[in-house]
Parts: sequence; structure tokens; C-alpha cells
Amino acid sequence: MKLWHSFKKELKLASKGMYFYIEVGVAVVMLLVLLLFVPKELDGRHDEYLYLDLPQGAKELYLEKIRSEDLDGQEESVTLKQGGRMISARKFVLEDVRLYVLEDREAVIRYAEEEREVAVVVALDPDDGLAYTYYLQGYESEKLRNLYLIFYNKVVSMEEIEAFFDDVEVRTLEGNPQMLNDRENLLPPFLTFNGSLMGLFILAAYVFLDKQEGVVKAYAVTAASVWQYLMSKVGVILFASVLTSIILVAPVMGTGPNYPLLLVFLAASGFFASALGLVLTSFYRDIEQAFGALYILIMVLILPNIAYFTPSWEPAWLKAIPSHAMLESFKEIILDRGDMGYVLGASAGFLAAGAVLFLFANHRFKKTLTL
Amino acid sequence: MISVRNLYHSYSNDDKYAVKDVSFEVKEGEVFGFLGPSGAGKSTTQNILTGLLQLQKGEVAVAGYNIKKIDNRMFNEIGMSFEESNLYGKMTAKENLDFYRKLFDVETRDSMDLIRIVGLQGKENIRTKEFSKGMKHRLTFARSMINNPRIWFLDEPTTGLDPAIASEIKDIIREENKKGVTVFLTTHNMYIADELCDRVAFIVDGEIRLIDSPKSLKLAYGDKLVDVEYIKDGKVLKETFSTVMEEDKQRLIRVIGSHDIQTMHTKEATLEEIFIKVTGRGLV
Ligand SMILES: Nc1ncnc2c1ncn2[C@@H]1O[C@H](COP(=O)(O)OP(=O)(O)O)[C@@H](O)[C@H]1O
Ligand SMILES: [Mg+2]
Repeated sequence: MKLWHSFKKELKLASKGMYFYIEVGVAVVMLLVLLLFVPKELDGRHDEYLYLDLPQGAKELYLEKIRSEDLDGQEESVTLKQGGRMISARKFVLEDVRLYVLEDREAVIRYAEEEREVAVVVALDPDDGLAYTYYLQGYESEKLRNLYLIFYNKVVSMEEIEAFFDDVEVRTLEGNPQMLNDRENLLPPFLTFNGSLMGLFILAAYVFLDKQEGVVKAYAVTAASVWQYLMSKVGVILFASVLTSIILVAPVMGTGPNYPLLLVFLAASGFFASALGLVLTSFYRDIEQAFGALYILIMVLILPNIAYFTPSWEPAWLKAIPSHAMLESFKEIILDRGDMGYVLGASAGFLAAGAVLFLFANHRFKKTLTL
Repeated sequence: MISVRNLYHSYSNDDKYAVKDVSFEVKEGEVFGFLGPSGAGKSTTQNILTGLLQLQKGEVAVAGYNIKKIDNRMFNEIGMSFEESNLYGKMTAKENLDFYRKLFDVETRDSMDLIRIVGLQGKENIRTKEFSKGMKHRLTFARSMINNPRIWFLDEPTTGLDPAIASEIKDIIREENKKGVTVFLTTHNMYIADELCDRVAFIVDGEIRLIDSPKSLKLAYGDKLVDVEYIKDGKVLKETFSTVMEEDKQRLIRVIGSHDIQTMHTKEATLEEIFIKVTGRGLV
């Protein structure tokens, strides 16, 4: 009961303070950015840049083949911009890939080297088969590389071209191609940032505000416990986190995601982040003193977000940072056929780790809350 | 109701004690005052008794609860008013009290009743951050009564209040005490100590120098003080001497022997004068 009343009071206070509205405001801004500035068009397709190093006849045949795979059976002449250069290309939109066929081998390779795109040079091998030279980024999985090898670099006769196009679909099943459009792809980092990281920071702000007002002391001489005080604050953070996450997810994803699972994970990861914030807060008297540590902690937690946008940088130790698991989980939650087991496992992990941190924070606060 | 034995406390966890070897007992129904200058260790002692500071050394029991391991139920029986008011500034006076009521397991008093008692009626729906210092202090004071405490801790209950309000606060304390509430208060105001306390402890530099009732202190010291006005180097000087303390007696003899005496009265001492006599220190 005391916990419930404390929670209600915290909610009321939060509704009168600015932090709550900052959180909601940030969520709304993120949503607007997603809806207004991030194109949705890139439905699950990635780009590939091709140079056909083939004799005229073979080239025609090859293009004809692609054209037949094109969704509207039409090629499109486009002008691409690469650095300062203008490059003309034929664009084909296939079911799972956008192919740009260029007349300039160097430009294709530059796409691989400078723009981190998938670039392919198709040539004839001595036995009149097709030889595919893929310019990979180095971060593609071993599996994907092997598949490329098997499906493209094996020697095939001209007659087998047809056969291999049937194999193309194999690519979509592995190597984690983007199943999310660009807009959806931005959700996991936004959710991680908005829910957990903001929560951690704002929780610290709430506790320090109470300390400054001295109300913690008034609370300390009541029959309510420290853990109830702390938990009521965590509750408000979770409430805000759920609210802002729904603000972000619902308009972008509609009814797609698994909402119950989203709630479970938001609660678990939010609890973990709040408890982490409490532990940190318990070591400092006021927010000025805590700021350095808070800043470092948040920076560390943001690293996986940066890696998320930088495919070429994903060191193994990054996976040890909790926000990495948050990103992955949010991704699985909004994916159509996401890995629910992973999300539940991560939730359990966050819940357990959060409980340990919370107990530790409670233990510390019993001694230091009223200092 | 309160028993303190050999209490020590150091904020720096070394031998720089803010409270040093303090022992005393407070009986049920008594008003017990800690009188001493600022920095003497009054609040520190009170904060230990109410669990706001961790007990480091010594034995403390409050309302039958051992302070070494705080039991939350103890707080159902005690109330505490703070030296510096601490309210939720974003909530109104009434909301502050209404919420506070929920934090106890015992029957609590009506918020509006309390607001009326401290003269804040009409202000109940104002956010407390708009309150003056005195109003905040009164509400903090009222809040400390909310759970009908058996033991009431008051840290500087009248400090910084204008005299009329201070006098109202004194009346409320007296009234609650009449109902049987045990009061532990700290003050550096000798009038408060004199008027309210059944017994006072003089505390200086973290140590208790004396515990007695104001009445017997005055009996012990009162008639034995002499106010002397005398002329020295053409100027009129006024001094108070004890007729029992050896040092004072010798000085008094010297003054009478070597200066023109203008007036000389025996008198009843104020608590402050006794404090100065006993501790060698003023109350500020
Ligand atoms: N939080 C604190 N940290 C360090 N020293 C403190 C703290 N609070 C009080 N002190 C010191 O302890 C001594 C006693 O202070 P206090 O109990 O507040 O005195 P009083 O209430 O009698 O004015 C003073 O010297 C004061 O400076
Ligand atoms: Mg004090």
C-alpha cells in the first residue's frame, strides 16, 4: 500500500516536473524525425552495384534475365551521385534487392570501397561460365561469403544462368539481410536510448532533487521503507519508458510487433537501467558530483548504438555492454519472425541483474540517503 | 522512553567527534531539552535517535526499539520536525500532509485539522514552494504530529519564527505534552528551554556538561549571583559574579577592594547566565 501511494505521489510529482515532459518531448521529436525524414521506401531491399564484364551477347542475355526478374519488368535509367561524380546506371528493382548496373568498373569498386555497398563484377571465366567477383565489406558472415562462393563463383554454363536465378532467393534467408525498412531499423536504437538511458539519467535527477529538497529525510522517519521509496521512483521511470516507447513504436509499426513481449522487455530492461542508476546515485551527494560518472556510464551504454549504425565496427567486447542486448532484443521484438526466446532470455537476465543492483542500491541508500 | 548511553559520533569516521560520550534518559511524559550553541551536536544526537544517521558507537533505545537495527515500526510511534523545513514544493500543503498520512500503519490525524492548528487555514491549496519560510516551518512542524506520536522530536522548533508564531508553537507543544506525549527538543534559545522543558541538558562541543531541571538550576545558581556595577578608569562596568565559584569569589573581593561600587544586587539567574557559568560559553 505504501508503495502504491508513493508511486501515485511520484507520478503526480513527475507530472508537475519538467523531466517527464522532456522525455515525452524527446520521444515525439524522435517520432517526427522517423516519420518525416526517414524514407520508408527501402522495403527490406538492399542495394547491389554490378559491372558486367561480358561480351555483348552474354551481357544482353544477362540483362534480359534480370529484367524478367524486375518487379515491373522495366529497367529504369538513373543518374547516381558518387562523391562528386555523376554516374548513369540501369536500375532494376527485384523482390529483395535493388540492382544498379553500371558501365564503369571503377565506379562499382568505389561503391564497395567508399560507400560500403555490395559491389559485384560479373565476368566470363575461361570455361565460358560466369565468374562473380564480390567486393565484400569484411563484416559479412562466413556463411554469406560461402554462399556467394557456391552460388556465384562455381563454374556455370550459360544455360545454367536460368537455374541460378532460382537460387537467388537463398540469399534472403541468411546473413541477416535487412528485414526492417530504414525507419523501422532506427527504432531499436531510439527505444534503447529513450527507454533505458534516459530513464537512468532522469531517475538520478529525481533522487537528487528529493535530497536537495530534504524530503528524503521526511520520508526516512516514516514507517515506509527505503526500498518502497526507491521502487516508487523506478515505477515512474518505467511508466514513462513504456509511454514513450509506445509513442515511438505504435505509429511506425502499427499492430506488427509483439506488444506484450515489448512490455515485458521494457519493464525488465527499464528496471535494470533504473537500478543501475540508483547504484550510481547512491555514491554521490548531489548531481554535480555524480555528473562525471553519470556521463561516462551513459557514453559507454551508447557505444552499441554507435556500432549499430557503423557496420564495419563491431568489436566482440561491445556485446558485453547491456545496451547491446537491448538493441538486439528490440530488433527481435519488432521483426516479423523475431527470436522470442532471445528476448525472453534477455528479459530474465535484465530482471535478475536489476534485482541484484536494486538490492545493493537499497543496502547503500539505507546508510547514505539522508546524508 | 529514550535511553542513550555513551553515544559517540564522528562524521569523518575518526576521533574528531561531533558527539562525545553522551548519556541521558528521557522519561515518559517529560519534555527534555538539549540546550547548546550552534554546532554543539544537538541535531547530530537527534538524527541518531531518529535513525537519520547511523549509530556508530554507543547504545540507544527509543520507545523500546534498539536503534542499532532500525525497525520501521518504530516510526509509527515517533514524530520528527526538522530544523530546516522539507516539503514537496510542487505539492500543496494539504497534498503534502495527505501523502504523509499514507506512510504510517497507525491512525493518523486529519490534514485540515493540522493545518488549522498551525494557523495555515486558507493556504491548504497553495503549493508549498510559494510559502514563506515561517509557513513552511509550521507545516513541517504540523506534519510531525500526523501519526499521533508517543515521542516527539523537535529540532529547533521556534528558530527563525517571529515571536507571535513562536509562542503559538510553544502552546501547541505544551498542549501535546499535557496529553502525555514525550518531547525531545533541541534549542539554542534559553527561553524555550526555560519555559517548556522539565529538564535540560547543557551541551557544548559534543559533550553534555550538566542535566537538571531549570527550576533546580535556578535554585542552585540563582541567589548566588551578584550583579555589580563599578567604576574603572572613569567608565562604568557591569559584571556578574557567582558567590559559590571560587574564582568568582576572589575576583569579586578584588573588585570591591579596588574600585568604586555603584550598585550591587543578588538576583535570580537566567538559564543563559547559568549556561555561561557552567560551560564557560555563550549560547550563540
Ligand atoms: N553532515 C555533516 N558532515 C560533517 N560535519 C557535520 C555534519 N553535520 C554537522 N556537522 C558538524 O558536527 C557538529 C555538530 O553539528 P550539529 O549537530 O548540527 O550541531 P547543532 O545542531 O547543535 O547546531 C558541528 O561541528 C558541525 O559542523
Ligand atoms: Mg542543529
